[in-house]
Formats: sequence, C-alpha cells, structure tokens
Amino acid sequence: MNFLAPFAFLFAASIPVVVVFYLLKRKRVVKLVSSTLLWQKFLSETQASAPFQKLRKNWLLILQIILLIFAVLALSRPYFAAKAKPAELRVVILDTSASMEATDESPSRFEKARAEALKWVDGLAGSDQMVVLQAGANTEVKQSATSEKAALRRALQACVCSDGPTRLVPALRMAESLVRDQRNAEIHLFSDGAVPELSEFENKALPLVYHRVGKSSENLGIIALDVRSNPENAKERAVYVGVANYSTNDQQSELELLLDEKLIETRPITVASNETSPQVFKAQQDHDGVFTVRLTAKDDLAPDNQASIVSLLPKPVKVLLVTKGNRFLERALRAAPNVELATANDLTDTAAGFDFVVLDDVPPTVWPQGNVLAIHVVNTNWFESVTRIEGPGIVDWKTAHPVLRYVSFDNVPVAESLAVKTPNWGVSLLDAPQASLMVAGELGRQRIIWIGFDTLQSLWPYRVSFPMFVANAVDWLNPANAKNEQLIIKPGDPFRLALTHPEKGAVVIRPGGATTTIELDPNANEFVYGDTLKQGTYRVRLSTNEVTFCADLLDSAESNIKPRDELQLGKYTKVTATTMQRTNMELWRTIASIGLVVLMIEWWYYHRRTV
Amino acid sequence: MPNAFLTPELLRRLEQFQLLAARRAKSSSKGERRSRARGQSVEFADYRNYVHGDDFRYLDWNLYGRLERLFLKLYEEERELPVRIFLDASESMTFGEPRKFDFARQIAAAVGYVALSGFDRVTVVPFPNQPPFSELKDKGVTPQAYNMELAARGALRSVRGKKSAIQFFQNLGVLTAGGTANLNEALRRGALEARQAGVAIVLSDFLDPAGYEPGLTALVGRGFQVNVVQILAPEELSPTSFGDLRLVDSETGGIQEVTFGRYRMKSYQVTVQNFLQRLREYCQGRGINFFTASSATALEELLLRQLRQAEVWG
Repeated sequence: MNFLAPFAFLFAASIPVVVVFYLLKRKRVVKLVSSTLLWQKFLSETQASAPFQKLRKNWLLILQIILLIFAVLALSRPYFAAKAKPAELRVVILDTSASMEATDESPSRFEKARAEALKWVDGLAGSDQMVVLQAGANTEVKQSATSEKAALRRALQACVCSDGPTRLVPALRMAESLVRDQRNAEIHLFSDGAVPELSEFENKALPLVYHRVGKSSENLGIIALDVRSNPENAKERAVYVGVANYSTNDQQSELELLLDEKLIETRPITVASNETSPQVFKAQQDHDGVFTVRLTAKDDLAPDNQASIVSLLPKPVKVLLVTKGNRFLERALRAAPNVELATANDLTDTAAGFDFVVLDDVPPTVWPQGNVLAIHVVNTNWFESVTRIEGPGIVDWKTAHPVLRYVSFDNVPVAESLAVKTPNWGVSLLDAPQASLMVAGELGRQRIIWIGFDTLQSLWPYRVSFPMFVANAVDWLNPANAKNEQLIIKPGDPFRLALTHPEKGAVVIRPGGATTTIELDPNANEFVYGDTLKQGTYRVRLSTNEVTFCADLLDSAESNIKPRDELQLGKYTKVTATTMQRTNMELWRTIASIGLVVLMIEWWYYHRRTV
Repeated sequence: MPNAFLTPELLRRLEQFQLLAARRAKSSSKGERRSRARGQSVEFADYRNYVHGDDFRYLDWNLYGRLERLFLKLYEEERELPVRIFLDASESMTFGEPRKFDFARQIAAAVGYVALSGFDRVTVVPFPNQPPFSELKDKGVTPQAYNMELAARGALRSVRGKKSAIQFFQNLGVLTAGGTANLNEALRRGALEARQAGVAIVLSDFLDPAGYEPGLTALVGRGFQVNVVQILAPEELSPTSFGDLRLVDSETGGIQEVTFGRYRMKSYQVTVQNFLQRLREYCQGRGINFFTASSATALEELLLRQLRQAEVWG
C-alpha cells in the first residue's frame, strides 16, 4: 500500500488533542433550585421518544453538514487541469550540474527543482506515464516510463547533484527518442538554464517545457587553471588562474595558492562585474605536487571557489630526429624547451629509449612504438588510401587543436603533397579541397602527427608559424604532458589510468578523506574510476605507486549562474521558461483546510451558545 | 389598617367584595349566608302546622283569620361560610424574586380579608406542619420565634369577624416556610378535618413529585368549592442560568445534571406550558377554579381582575 501524501499522517498528532478535550471533565456549576421536577420533565420530553423528529433550523447541524461536504470533497480529490494540456508521457529531465548547487534558492536550486518535479508527480493523472532523467556530467535514466507515483518519487529522491558541468545534449537526445512518435508527450526540463549550445535541436520541434529555477547570480568563480614552467625562469613554476565575476557588482576576495595543502601565497583581488581577471602565481616547486587555488569570499555557488591541478616537474624530452638533413626542423626542435635531441639517418629499431620520434621524409625500417611526428612518410596501417596532389590549395586549418595553437598557414604554398582521407582515429588539421594534408590523433596509445608534404617542398619553414608548430608538437607528443592532461578531469567524467603491469586492486582516497577499495581484473590493462561527482583531489593507491588526479569544474558556463529566462536552441529557436502550473492540481489540501476552519467554527459556536 | 401584605387602597377595594358560594352554607354557626337550615332571619322560607309549644310570635295571624287554622311561619337560618386556605409553606416556596411564599401569603391575606369582611370563618392550613423545635434549633430559630409561629398557626385555624383581620394579618406574617411538603397528604387531611365543607383556596407551586390529583380529588369529594392558585417564580418560567449545571432540589436534595443554553429555552417553556395545561385541564374537569401566576405578577391584576372574572368573589 502506498500513500500519495504520507505527510498527511502528521495530522494524526491532532488525535491526542481531541482525546485531551474529552479527558477534560466538564465542570458543572452547582445551583440550588426550588424543585427539579420541571427539569426532569424537560429532559424526558427533549430526549428522543420517537426515532425521528421534525427537522428544525439548527446552526450546528448546518455547520456539520458543511464540514461533511468539505470532507467528502477532499476525499474525492478534485483537481483542475485548466492551465496545462494533458500529456500521456512526460519526460522529466532534472539538471544536476554544479550550477544547480547555487544557494540563491533555499536550500538550493537543485532541491527547489526536485520539489517542483515532485509536484508534477503528484499531479500525474491515472494512466499518464513519466520518465525521470538525471542530466549531470552523464545522463542517467533514473526511472523508465511508469505511472507508479511511488517509483517516480523514489527516482527523483535518488537524484544527486554533482559538481560537474551540464551535458544536456545527451539527455535531450534521449528524451527526444522517448517522445518521438508519441502523441501528447512532453519533455519537462528543470534547470537554471546554464547549459551549453543546443543548436542540434534547432529544427527538431521538441515539445520542451522549461521550468526555470534560480533567482540571482552572485558568484565569483575560478574558470581556468593551468600550471607550467615559468617562461622567464625555468626553475620556477607559473600557475595561471582565471577568476570570473558573474555578479552584478564588483567583487572582492582573497585568492589563495596552496601546494600540497600548504599556503604559499594570498592575494587580494577585485574583479569587476562580468569581467574575468587573469592571475599568475610564481612558485618554487622541488617535487611533484598538487597546486590548489581557493577564493575565500562567500557567494551563491561553492564548487567553483576552489580548483586543484597536479603539477609534475618537467623532465627532459628525448627526441630522435630521423632525417636526411633538415636544418629548419632541427633548429626548431632544439629551440623547444627541455628537448634532448638525437639525430639519425635511418631508424632500424623501435626507438624505445626516446619519448617520441620525428620521421622527416625517411621511411623507417622498423616503425617506432612511441609517439611519432611523421613528415611525408606513410604507414599503410594508418590510412586507407593515399593520393598525391600537385600544388594543393590550403583551405582550412584547425587552430583550436593544441598542435596548431597560434599557427597560421597564410601564405604557405606547398609544391606537392600526399593527401589522405581523414581516418577515424584522428582529426584533420589542415585541409585541401576533399583531402587532408595533416592529421593528428591517437592510435591505440600512440600519438601520431602526420604531415603529407615535405616541409622543404614548401615555404612553411620560412614562416614564424613553423617553430611554433614544432614547439606545440613537442608538447603534444611528449608522453609526460599527455599524462598530465589525464590527471585533470571534469567532475563526473571517468578517470582512466593505463596499467603497466597487472594489479589486483586499488584504493581510492576521495576528497574529504573517504577511501574506496576497488578490485581489479588481473588481465585489465586500464584502471577506470567513475565516482568523481565531487570536485577535489583524488589519490589512487596501486600496489607499486600512487597517482593523484584532480576533478575541477573550471567551466565558465556553469560559473555563470544567472538563471536564463530562455533556452536558445540554435540561432532562431528558443524556449521560454514556462509559467505553466502542473496539471491535475489537487485541491484536497485546500478543501481540508477550509473544513478544519469550519470545524473550529462549529466548536466555537457550540461552546458559545451553552454559556 | 396597616399591614405588610396589602395596601390600604387594596383593602378598601377588597371590602366591596364577598366570596361567592355556589352552594348553600352548611355551617352550624350563625352567619350571613343563606342555608337550608330554618331559623331566625328576615328571609321567609315556608309554613308548617302549629304544634304545642311553638313560639306564638311566629304564628301567621292573617292566615288564621282567613282559614281559622294555626300556621307557623318559618324563616331561613343564615349561617357562616367556612373558608379554608391551604398555604404551601415548603422550602420550594422560598424561591423566586419576590418569594413565592410572600406572594402566596398576600393572596391568603386578601382572601382572608374578604371572607372576614363577610363574617365568614377563615381557616389557614399551612403545610407542612411545623417540625419539632429540636430540628430547627440548628438553623438559628429562637424558642420565642418558634413559639410565636406555633401560636400563630394555632390562631389561624379559626378566625372570624372583621375585627380579627389585624391579628389575622399578623399571624400570617409570623409564618415561615421550610421543609418538605406533601401536598396530597395536606389536602386530604384538611378535607377530613373540616366539619363543614366550604370554600377551599389552595396556594402552592404544585411542584410535588407525588402529584396533586389525590389531594384535589379529596377536597372536591368532601364538597369543597375549590380554587387553585399556582404560584411559580419567574426563574422557573424562564431560567436565567445557562451552561453545564448540577441542579440540587431544595426539598428532596435530588441532583439533576443538565446542559442548558438559550437555544433550549423554547423547549423548556413548552415543557412548563404542558405542565400547566395538564393541571388546568384536571381542574376544569372537576369544577375547580384554576389560576396561575408568577410571583412577580401585580397583585391587583390577580385579585381584582382574574379572581373577580372567575367569580371567586364579586
């Protein structure tokens, strides 16, 4: 047996009150009268001598009838569905991203949204169904389609808010597949609207109802964090911090830098409204550790007030350059910081002793196992087909990729090039019409940058972008850097760690000190840990070593907690926050309250007229 | 003629009245009422043959002249009308504002005064009887007061003549009310004790749990011309106490719990009217004059209008 309103049992507390009323002894006033004869006759006449009597006007009777009417009305659980159209299927998406932890609503936006969603569960009509999706870093189906309110309520109660970013696209995609071909289906999104681009759904005509939560946007948050060697002093580390103020007023705070929980520096900062303040800390570091930056000012959103990053001391990068002679490339490689360069004319082994190999127009006898920068050489395992193009016109290049950061191909003519169709393991960085001239990607655990043309057959080495590309490529191909990138994740994302030898188990120490022991398959070559909903520093203890990784929000979209009145679906479509009430709004509570008032009036009237 | 019960003005008006008796007086004492007895008066009644020894003064000489036979003229004997006033002096009569007992004594005084003015014999029968002194000693009754009331009760058993009116009033004033009355017993005994039937006035609230029928029946059966005046207090007609009450009967000590409010007033008054109606119908069925009055009623209204209209006196 289930109860729609179990809180109604609290009314049982009124039973003892009624009992107390009856326990109270009626205090009768003693009065001496001449004779009780008339009173006896009066009582015997007024007592029921016949089962029925003529109905007389009696206010007590009228009040009791009104009370009964209200009680019956309340028990019949009336509702009106005037403000919302009926829907046979409702897909409820509950946003559980970090911005929903904002406390501008009491106790939080997430709890408010959940309470609102629970009201919709209450208002579910008999055969209507509902689905509950939790949209955090990952989309989770908390409850498949059902009309059972208890299950839906349980599912909503089981939703947990994370410190991670909103990834609404998969949730909407799933919801769309659920409501497709359904008549009278609706998607109800309970969110503050701090969501990324949704242009995918521009022309889908989603039956989306957006329930907005949130009131204000008083937030100062850390949206960027990086640690590198100090370019001015290689012995020092530079910690780059981006602090954004999404409040309507300027905000002041203290920004603290800690290394392994030890305070190194405190800096007062003032950030103007809707501005981002970049901050650079310089710190000495003599061992691998975790830098933590922390904002001390109180605001509506806590998760973005702290961020951590694992800082591993740089080690020399051992590079093998296999070339017939390319001074531009060699000088560019030597110019890159911390590079120990070796050159060779040919490659006859797997070059196991090097961090990565540069193959400059020299096909190797044995392909290296490590990372490779391959220039004008083709490994047949990499591409399905290779063509040759004379004087290819470069039409596009991807500066968003770390390899082409700050690199431009303006005015770079190429004499001839190999061209490939972009393989599924990589992305095309440099495009000629209908072909790719440069591909970067990860094949297995091997990072590969492939360039189709001989650099000496172009003017690229004469351009400033060439050494920048080489420096970027060294960074990207350096296995240590790749490892560093793996040590910072978004809350909710899984942490992956390649295992060099079999492990039986691992102990994870979570932020706050709680430990979790995980058993591992001895044959597994990768350790995956998924319970990273809370931001902070996690430590994984394996049999031989310990790995530290950090989960950080670092998301300006989440830190900007201003509740959006509209959700933009692409350029031309938008969904306005609904003012729609839940359907089937039940009235029994109101009616029961009125009934209670009538009862009290009756009680008062009864006592008034006997006194 | 000052007294505590009746104003001089009222007395003056009452002097004009005379108790109206439906039947001829049966008293053995001389009075001013016509009776079936033959005696000396101015009212001619009949003739009879002269027998030896008759008083010559009553011979009708004119008849002797015509018929030469001696006939004696007979005259109606005028006798007194015994008036018995049954006065309820129980505890229940001490209630009301003004007290029912005071009101009853005023009526008794008026009736007694009218009767005395008409040379009738008045007997006041207060009931219950005066209890032994030992019972009243605890209630602060002095021996003098006790004896005075005892004497008054004795004196009120037979009063005659207008000159006795002052004493009559004084004796009425000495009477006190208290104790538990048995109406039926008092009336039955009063009926038996009376040597001749006459006019009976019953002054009571008739709130006796044992009822009133046997007593009134005994009076009627004895030949009394009965007049009943039921006296109720205003509080008994329209109670002013509301709420949860524990009522204690002043005479029996019985307890009645009742929850009473204004909303039940009408029902109560219907009960009272039913009670009065039963008594009225009983009286009408036996030729008894019935009056009911609140102790707050104006005395003149009852005495000069209601009793006169009912031809108790005229």
